[in-house]
Amino acid sequence: MLQYIGKRLLQSVLTLFIIITIVFSLLRLMPEEGYLGAAADKMSPAQQEIYLTSLGLRDPILVQLGNFYKNLLQGDLGKSVTYRTDVPVVTIIADKITYSLLFGLGAVGLSLLIGVPLGIMMAYRKGRWLDRLGTGYIVFVVAVPAAVYYLVIQMYITELFQLPMLFDEYRPITWILPLTSMALAPTASYAMWMRRYMVDELNKDYIKLARAKGVKERTLMFKHVLRNAFIPMAQYLPATILFTITGSIYIESLYSIPGMGGLLVDAIQRQDNTIVQGLVLVFSSLGIIGLILGDIAMALVDPRIKLGKGGGVR
Amino acid sequence: MTLKKSSILGIQNLVIQFTLRGRILTAIRGISLDLYKGESLAIVGESGSGKSVLMKSIMGLLDKNGRIKQGQIIYNAQDLGKFTTEQEWLGIRGKEIAMVTQDPMTSLNPLKTIGKQIEECVVMHQGLRGKEAYAETLKLLTDVGITDVQKRYKQYPHEFSGGMRQRIVIAIAIACKPNILICDEPTTALDVTIQAQILQLLKNLQQKYGLTIVYITHDLGVVAKVADRIAVMYAGDVIEVGETHEIFFHSKHPYTWALISSLPQLGSKGEQLYSIKGTPPNLFQEIKGDAFAPRNPYALKIDFIERPPFFQVSDTHYVRTWLLDPLAPKVEPPAALQAFFAEGRQYAND
Repeated sequence: MLQYIGKRLLQSVLTLFIIITIVFSLLRLMPEEGYLGAAADKMSPAQQEIYLTSLGLRDPILVQLGNFYKNLLQGDLGKSVTYRTDVPVVTIIADKITYSLLFGLGAVGLSLLIGVPLGIMMAYRKGRWLDRLGTGYIVFVVAVPAAVYYLVIQMYITELFQLPMLFDEYRPITWILPLTSMALAPTASYAMWMRRYMVDELNKDYIKLARAKGVKERTLMFKHVLRNAFIPMAQYLPATILFTITGSIYIESLYSIPGMGGLLVDAIQRQDNTIVQGLVLVFSSLGIIGLILGDIAMALVDPRIKLGKGGGVR
Repeated sequence: MTLKKSSILGIQNLVIQFTLRGRILTAIRGISLDLYKGESLAIVGESGSGKSVLMKSIMGLLDKNGRIKQGQIIYNAQDLGKFTTEQEWLGIRGKEIAMVTQDPMTSLNPLKTIGKQIEECVVMHQGLRGKEAYAETLKLLTDVGITDVQKRYKQYPHEFSGGMRQRIVIAIAIACKPNILICDEPTTALDVTIQAQILQLLKNLQQKYGLTIVYITHDLGVVAKVADRIAVMYAGDVIEVGETHEIFFHSKHPYTWALISSLPQLGSKGEQLYSIKGTPPNLFQEIKGDAFAPRNPYALKIDFIERPPFFQVSDTHYVRTWLLDPLAPKVEPPAALQAFFAEGRQYAND
């Protein structure tokens, strides 16, 4: 097991290295004005040249890459030029990620808490009113563009329950709407997958045998079906959780949450290359960690997966 | 039917219907059949003849759209056909009547060790706990011919071969200490060398535990090896029932003749194998007369008008065909079959 995890980690570090190198190289192809920010108009060409040299941008590209990795290992992602001048990128991201993390985890927690049991109950009572209601909800969330129901929430729900619309860190009541808005879609997808995998398992032969040997329907559901249905879930859960953490651009701008969602778009528009680099690093790391965790989770629950010499082959 | 031996399960005039998209399919059309204590009864018939539905109804495992329209299934002075709640069925399933399913490759939960799966039954039906349950599980594993049981207990289904898995499925069935064991095509998914072993195992277990076994199969070869009695099913009805030698060598129903003629062993080399012409009747429609009549070369006029009753051939042998009516013309089975009958009877007399 440890050997397997070690191997997967090593592979991931390599993947990460390739991604970052590609992004780094692509950004060097962008116009250099980005590094000058708002000050560009006030500088003479000679001053610009001196500034760019001081940033190390006149070094050969391989030297630049080397320096970048050297700094990266020391936890230094460079400084923002346009966004908040001379503030380390690490600090900027750290400030923003706290909000996205809180909302993301909150929303994931909420949707797991509601979505998974909902899916289980839908499978258990397949074809009854709860199943139909749940299916209706899932179809609604999938079919209607998110922007529409977010707007409905903003227009009517705020009034109906007298909830404040904009986010204010110090008023807990303002957390409610963003959290529920964010949880709507993942709740539906967790419920949908859970129900689907449960129904899949229920149609298998071993369930027939278990019934024939006299296992109660309820015991059957929770002791046999649930765990088996959870295997495919286990693989994707960590990744979906981590992606929620990276923040929703739309929700964050809707409720004016100072999270990470809008940062990448902002940074690209302002051509703030150091922030873009930093964010790509964070996003891709999260994605890769999600995949590793998924694989590990699956290996933990499924005895059929043999780890070690043969690799992770089923 | 006479009760020479004591009947353990009695099916009387059973009718089972399914509702499929608003249409009604009659899968079982008025079956009466007794199961005697300690015997091996084989139910044979082609696909769709209702063998499996009949057995499922005995365990309350019919699909949701199926129901018992009329008739009774009497076990222990209770009518199982009247059971509606899960609670009632839990007293029967596993405890009284257990099942060995068809495909051992998919019949075990892939995520539980086989030990736990057997133990679940031991705990549920024998009320043993902890060390006692563990010891009983190991004993059951030994009983079904598995060696190195302590190590095997902790293994998962994917670590076993097909034949081994079928042994475990059997262990699960007998772990419930049932009176009746229903084997639904127990050897279909296994290769021929393993088939014989599994059948022998079932025979041994039958003696050891005093089981009554029902085999559901369309493999007459299997039937010949294990069954005391045979019930031949066609289109949701038992059309001939008798002791094994009676069905094999004295059968009277044209469908049974056709079935036996289809045995590859009976064909001669170079000739096409025998097959029954036509297709089974559509069970969505009400069947008038003898269901087999349209495919029956010996069919009489009355076969298309009225359903034949059971005619008694011997104490144990009953046939549902108008050919046995005193007014019917005398009909002999096909020549090839007559030779087979003669050979078989002679062999039996030796």
